[in-house]
Amino acid sequence: MDLALFVVLLLLVAVLAGLVGSLTGLGGGVVMIPLLVVLFGTSVPVAIGTGFVTILATSSATGAAYVRDHLTDIRIGMFLEIATVPGALVGATATVFLTHANLASELLIALGIVLLVTIPISLSRWNVEIPPEVRQGPVAHRLGLAGEYHDRFLGREVPYRAARARPALGVMFSAGVVSGMFGIGAGVLKVLALERSMNLPMKVATATSNFMIGVTAAAGAGVMLAAGYVNPVVAAPVAIGTAFGAYLGSRILPGLQNRTVRLIFLPVILVLAVEVILRGLGVA
Amino acid sequence: MTASSDTAPVRASPAQPLPPEAYARMTLVLRLGLALSLAILASGVVIYLLVNPDLSPSSVLSNNPILSYLSLQGLGSGLAAGSVSAVLTLGVIVLVATPIVRVVSGLYVFAKVGERAMTAIASTVLVLLLLAVLFIGPLVR
Repeated sequence: MDLALFVVLLLLVAVLAGLVGSLTGLGGGVVMIPLLVVLFGTSVPVAIGTGFVTILATSSATGAAYVRDHLTDIRIGMFLEIATVPGALVGATATVFLTHANLASELLIALGIVLLVTIPISLSRWNVEIPPEVRQGPVAHRLGLAGEYHDRFLGREVPYRAARARPALGVMFSAGVVSGMFGIGAGVLKVLALERSMNLPMKVATATSNFMIGVTAAAGAGVMLAAGYVNPVVAAPVAIGTAFGAYLGSRILPGLQNRTVRLIFLPVILVLAVEVILRGLGVA
Repeated sequence: MTASSDTAPVRASPAQPLPPEAYARMTLVLRLGLALSLAILASGVVIYLLVNPDLSPSSVLSNNPILSYLSLQGLGSGLAAGSVSAVLTLGVIVLVATPIVRVVSGLYVFAKVGERAMTAIASTVLVLLLLAVLFIGPLVR
């Protein structure tokens, strides 16, 4: 294949990945990483390194709007980054070691399994728009993990207070490890911790998760970049494409029913997950 | 916040809302960082294709030029010599650096409003990020 054609195809596939990732809320990496291995023939660690590029581009593209609208809780986000960043460091370092130990196929199988597990969680996510108020623990109280946001749909300010900060740190560390190992945002895990453990309203949880995903990915990307697993010729079209796709998705998403969108696209991700597992097993 | 209901905290939450400039500055950091990195990457990849019309995708995938440009010195001399790979590497570095600059911007806000615990937390996040980029990556290479 001609290199120019290869780059143009990467760009187009990245636009689709960014769009699907943003519409499903799963992030572009979930679509892009399997396709890089299956369609474009990159090695597994390079696909994962490129996954971080996808996350960084989409998180900065859509995260800026959330911060501008004060939907992102900067205190809560930065507090939890203290767990996701070391998690990502551990995960990315593990991926580099697994690659050196010739265990890239096993890594691919594990990625497929993570994708398969993510899909039912994402579908079963039973969103509470605004949770009932609960008592704050000492950590959340001392750090002032509370605030309010303007809900355009309800047309009023919604106050909230974060609870259970310490268990949330544990979930966030695991989310960081998953993110760092596989180059995916692990946003499903992050939102789960923010909504269920910390008792945050859905919109604040989504925006804050997006905010944290970028910093978590920067830690993973730092490791993979220095280890030589980010190829700039692949990364460039992927970054441009996914940023554009995610932006497009954030424009059309408000007019769509979230659950319907998930039901349409999740089979696509299911197929990709199975494909990745078969590839790891040496069947496909 | 009232202390009358039994769900209310023992004392009022110490944190005030962050100043609106903090949000504006972070939005700007994210927008500028992304725009700058995408502009560098887009021009870099176009020039790369023009300069290397005969390269095959497999040769690009098997020869990652990025490692020679990851030091400040290597990147500087690569850029000075007009290497397209160095330009592409710079674009990737700006992309990775954007959220890190965002953490610095948060650190500045917390230090300015005098929230000591949050300042310590933001500093720790920054140190961990720098550790990842500057030490752990090169170490596991």
